[in-house]
Amino acid sequence: MAATDIAVVGFAQTPSVRKARESEVQLLVPIVTEALARAGLDRREVGFTCAGSCDYLTGGPFAFVSNLEAAGAWPPISESHVEMDGAWALYEAWVRLQHGDIDTALVFGSGKSSPSKPEEMWAQQLDPYYLAPLGVDPASLAGIQARALIDAGKATERDFAEVVARNRANAKDNPNAQVSGDYSVDKLLQAPYVRAPLRAHDFPPISDGAVAVVLARGDRARELCDRPAWIRGLDHRIEVHQPGMRDLTASTSTTLAARKAGYDGGPLDVIELSSTFSPQEIILREALGLDADANVNPSGGALAGNPVMATGLVRIAEVAQRIVEGSAGRGLAHATGGQVLQHNLVCLMEGD
Amino acid sequence: MTEQAAVIGVGQTHHKKKRADVSIPGLLREAALRALDDAECTWADIDAVVIGKAPDAFEGIVQPELFLADALGGAGKPMLRVHTAGSVGGSTFIVGSHLIESQIHDRVLAIAWEKQSEGNAQWGLAGGRGRGIGAGGAFAPWIRAYIEKTGAPEYIGWQVAVKDRLNALKNPYAHLHLPDITIETVKESAMLWDPLRFLESCPSSDGACAVVLTNAATAKKASKPAAYIAATAVKSELGQFPGRDPVRPQAGVECAHDVYRQAGIGVPRQEIDVAEIYVPFSWYEPMWLEGHDIAGPGEGWKMVEGGDTELTGSFPVNASGGVLSSNPIGASGMLRFAEAALQVRGQAGEHQVDGVRTALAQAYGGAAQYFAMGILRNEPA
Amino acid sequence: MSDTTTPKENLVMNHLVSLSYSEELTPILERYVDALIDGRIVGHKCPQCGRVYVPGKGYCPICVVETTDKDEFEVSDRGTVTGFTIITPVAYYGQTETEPFVYASVLLDGSSGNLGGQDIIGVAHDQLHSGMRVRAVWKPPNERTAEGVSNRGWGSVASVIDAFEWTGEPDADRSVYEEHIF
Ligand SMILES: [Zn+2]
Repeated sequence: MAATDIAVVGFAQTPSVRKARESEVQLLVPIVTEALARAGLDRREVGFTCAGSCDYLTGGPFAFVSNLEAAGAWPPISESHVEMDGAWALYEAWVRLQHGDIDTALVFGSGKSSPSKPEEMWAQQLDPYYLAPLGVDPASLAGIQARALIDAGKATERDFAEVVARNRANAKDNPNAQVSGDYSVDKLLQAPYVRAPLRAHDFPPISDGAVAVVLARGDRARELCDRPAWIRGLDHRIEVHQPGMRDLTASTSTTLAARKAGYDGGPLDVIELSSTFSPQEIILREALGLDADANVNPSGGALAGNPVMATGLVRIAEVAQRIVEGSAGRGLAHATGGQVLQHNLVCLMEGD
Repeated sequence: MTEQAAVIGVGQTHHKKKRADVSIPGLLREAALRALDDAECTWADIDAVVIGKAPDAFEGIVQPELFLADALGGAGKPMLRVHTAGSVGGSTFIVGSHLIESQIHDRVLAIAWEKQSEGNAQWGLAGGRGRGIGAGGAFAPWIRAYIEKTGAPEYIGWQVAVKDRLNALKNPYAHLHLPDITIETVKESAMLWDPLRFLESCPSSDGACAVVLTNAATAKKASKPAAYIAATAVKSELGQFPGRDPVRPQAGVECAHDVYRQAGIGVPRQEIDVAEIYVPFSWYEPMWLEGHDIAGPGEGWKMVEGGDTELTGSFPVNASGGVLSSNPIGASGMLRFAEAALQVRGQAGEHQVDGVRTALAQAYGGAAQYFAMGILRNEPA
Repeated sequence: MSDTTTPKENLVMNHLVSLSYSEELTPILERYVDALIDGRIVGHKCPQCGRVYVPGKGYCPICVVETTDKDEFEVSDRGTVTGFTIITPVAYYGQTETEPFVYASVLLDGSSGNLGGQDIIGVAHDQLHSGMRVRAVWKPPNERTAEGVSNRGWGSVASVIDAFEWTGEPDADRSVYEEHIF
């Protein structure tokens, strides 16, 4: 039984931008400082640090080693790194905090998608024997997923456009968003296909960005934050890799992770989903059993800014911020990894 | 709030230059199935998988754990991918142990691997650029500094090279089996990165290593003896800054002291019965003996010279043959923990050291800046 | 279980992948490259601890504070060899070296960190030693480029400086560089 008195007490993120002129570490330095400052914590007091990033995204082996410079790793620190979205770095830190011998942790996730060509780079994430040689890119797989959703009668192209319009409108209030504004669904539907039935607006922007989160436990959390965002449950589940062996119109791993995280289907004031392609929001809403009027992605979600390797942790930060600032009592954040929703994480948070 | 974790299953592949007979999933399953078999359980008994490897560029697959989920029975389970450079095998083991200690899961499969023959680690290390120097080139200046500082004779490196390869003859899984190796052959092997010679360097291997972890209560009920995890720690420091001592990195000193403290060890040299230490280049054996305060300053090489670190010595190091005999990079760190577990369980076969009750496991990586260490015991705390 | 079974027929499908990355240099590195082409070496001096990084990083990793153009600091093109090895190149796809080469760290006067991986000329391999005083051998101005300098921290001077050569000065005292051996 996991401890339920670990909370998010500090957070900071960079804006998502098409091409950052800073190095990845430069993106991290100010937000690590800001997140710690928000919690009123000196970096030398941090009990454990964990980062999430991807060598191939950065374009060099051991890319995460330089990111260690943002953590201030001198004198030496207790530290780890996952080759995953920062949300999983938060998971590792949350597990470490369970031990009770330390009471604070720093987590960050970062990525610059702008230097690489995502369609050629992420194609190398597929099974190297059977899929990668085919040259299937993530966008094409997302197109297949969207087609399956339509064929199953679960959604229409108009539904996809509505997801886009709603997220972009929500993003108007998010200073970190890359894409925002008022869009008419009818106009969106006039755009040409990129991967039928998906149009350019159904895809996320190419983003550079980073996010940092500070965790604290028990009394220390109360000391560092007036209203900590308590992590009531945290779980993640993976599915088989081969897209042909999955029902692409459902996300069973999200449903399972939510159940294991203790989500009982009760009301949520805020939900942030890592739906990087518009049809995925429809799939995730169903997987979580959300009502049509649920407050999904008030930040604009991943369609408004997609700093890969930070996107999932940004969702956690967005929900935590609303709880800490008092505008939400209970929220759920979702992160994803792999293609067409192979791996999913659910973080359930509450205020006091 | 925490429960002690224990190793109840250990599995590794036969490490080789090229395991052309298996795919990457096949290689991992070979190690995983041996670990499950040893733990007397099946895929269905595993609650979560923690997987580690060195940079993805070594095989050219982005986040390969995603496609490996199918082969490792991952579907429906949590799967976490750790990457902390050369120490990753150790870190992966430690993250797995945390999942047990925190009582989040009852049985965890921790697995680490590298299939160097399906990619090019030298290319990967060089980031695809020319003028690559390899890991040996990066560590050679620090080895030179150790020799200058301590006045160690040059044959110390040769001695370690021979000792580990003779130990490997007793380990059927080891990559290198060099029955004819002598001080002379090491001394006469090609100079690669002055002062390091060819036979003082690790091979490049295909291989995987897996462990099944559970809580002490379950471990006590197992039919085979378990290895109880008395302490673990990870420490990292910046790779380069003025005043840094890469010969005796502070992170390595602190990591060692952390595990000694947790395990209640006052005099490591006396209270540890066997050590599995990440020694990819011969000189790192005396360097880590000093860097982890097992030997005093300038005393590490004397332990080597006096035969203390041999299989029958007073402080055996790398009874398995170590990284010098098998180096599936990502798995090399986990092999240290797995071999330490075999020793305290009394299941190391021909390379078993007599009467082991406490074993030290260590892995390091990056610019000698990432450390993962653990103490394993034959009895629960 | 046998792991040496060889299939009767080996079907080989080579799958060579080429990935391209392109990125504008950060403004700090642009200024650094402009200075290099001009024959000057500039870095950033941390306003908190005074350490000088070449090239500037935009932050001090020890203090974790940001540094800017205001913290720009010029260092000398002369320095001291603090450590070295002779590399026997390992062949791999893309390796450019075939003969043993020097891989030395040079502490430029005024800098707190080394330039790694430098070639030292004007002295035989067996005469190389730590403490040697060296100076940059600049490429002719029209051959200097920004090639190889990257936001990922690679190729700091190779496109403007061919090597470092022994100056003939007496060796530096060990105290000058002992904090900077690596
Ligand atoms: Zn400073």
